[in-house]
Amino acid sequence: MSQINKLGFVDSKLGAPTNGQQTTRILFNTIKVPGTTSSLTFFKNFQGLSNGQTNLTQNKLDSMESMVIKTIWLAQLDEENILQVFGATLQQTVSIIVGNQTVVKNLPIQFNQGSCGQAFDRLHESGGSSADDVDVRTEPTRQVVQPVEIRLLTDIVIPPQVAFEVRIESNNSVYGDGAVVCALSGYGKIFSAGNSF
Amino acid sequence: MITAQDKILHVANKLGLTSLKDMQASTGAVYDVDTELSGLLFTNSARHQNPGITNITENQFEVNEALLIETISFYASSNTHRPLNLQQQLGSNAIIVFDLVIGNKRVMKDTPIFASGSPYTFASVGQRLQGTTSGVILQYFPRHQVYMEGAGILIPPQVQYYVDYRVYDIVTGDVLTLPENRSLGCYLFGTKVLLNFNTSI
Repeated sequence: MSQINKLGFVDSKLGAPTNGQQTTRILFNTIKVPGTTSSLTFFKNFQGLSNGQTNLTQNKLDSMESMVIKTIWLAQLDEENILQVFGATLQQTVSIIVGNQTVVKNLPIQFNQGSCGQAFDRLHESGGSSADDVDVRTEPTRQVVQPVEIRLLTDIVIPPQVAFEVRIESNNSVYGDGAVVCALSGYGKIFSAGNSF
Repeated sequence: MITAQDKILHVANKLGLTSLKDMQASTGAVYDVDTELSGLLFTNSARHQNPGITNITENQFEVNEALLIETISFYASSNTHRPLNLQQQLGSNAIIVFDLVIGNKRVMKDTPIFASGSPYTFASVGQRLQGTTSGVILQYFPRHQVYMEGAGILIPPQVQYYVDYRVYDIVTGDVLTLPENRSLGCYLFGTKVLLNFNTSI
């Protein structure tokens, strides 16, 4: 079943509107100054974030909007404009909760990234290599790691007006004093008063 | 599964474009650079050097030409209009947040492009060995694109389109000013419909 069919199927099951503008949706949320912690929750706090730090104002989509989560993207950035290894390579798990249901449960993100990363399949390999001997402090535009990206094997739907969140759990991972960012992307629908282009 | 051609014909049918199905299907991309730093791409293409800055003469397609957008990507541009990698110019903390507008309708909404490498780009990691004073190092040149899930979005014939963007620092949340002599460019890539005369004129 394609993402389009899956979204239409779930929306019709829930009685949600199905005539919105078809599009590609990427939701993102930032946690500022995360520090060292065992738990991060994205899409929970929107206070004090600018339009460059999140594109939502609440943890749910509008009444005429819905989307499929197909890709999870995670990044850790420091104040000096440098991308860091997310959580300093410690084992971490990601869970996605939609409504009162856990739809991704304790999925290890290190499985898919870093120098020991394994790909879920031949197409779904995240950036795995880094050049540890580069002094990026003196050359901040040289990026030597990649963000975490996990392409899900099934299509998970966020229906209209249902709260959702993304949780990262670890044993005291160091996320630093910059920011950590989570993005969810996939096929979606946004409000449209007329026909689709 | 909806193919690109299916989607084009579906929208053409909805819009009453009965002759679009007889045109030549092809592959196409349009690009433009916001040399005015106005926050808008493609709107000023008529005033831009072709093909140095843009490959279109106006931000709408002519009769019976259309583009199904399947990938949107961004790049930095130098004052000599050379395409440059965004991350190399702005650093990893930069983020572009853009809308795509077709006619009077916003069809992509607050979509982020992360300078450190956007979702969808892990399959095409750009990397190279670069010589420096301290030796040869490996560094990434991330891609900055959105691969359209589903079957893309159609720009119909004779309908204006543009991209509205803002650039931020994702850590501070502040609006980011581009470095001197740098501007932002954008590609819209996908299945193209070209005007095709069945009879000679």
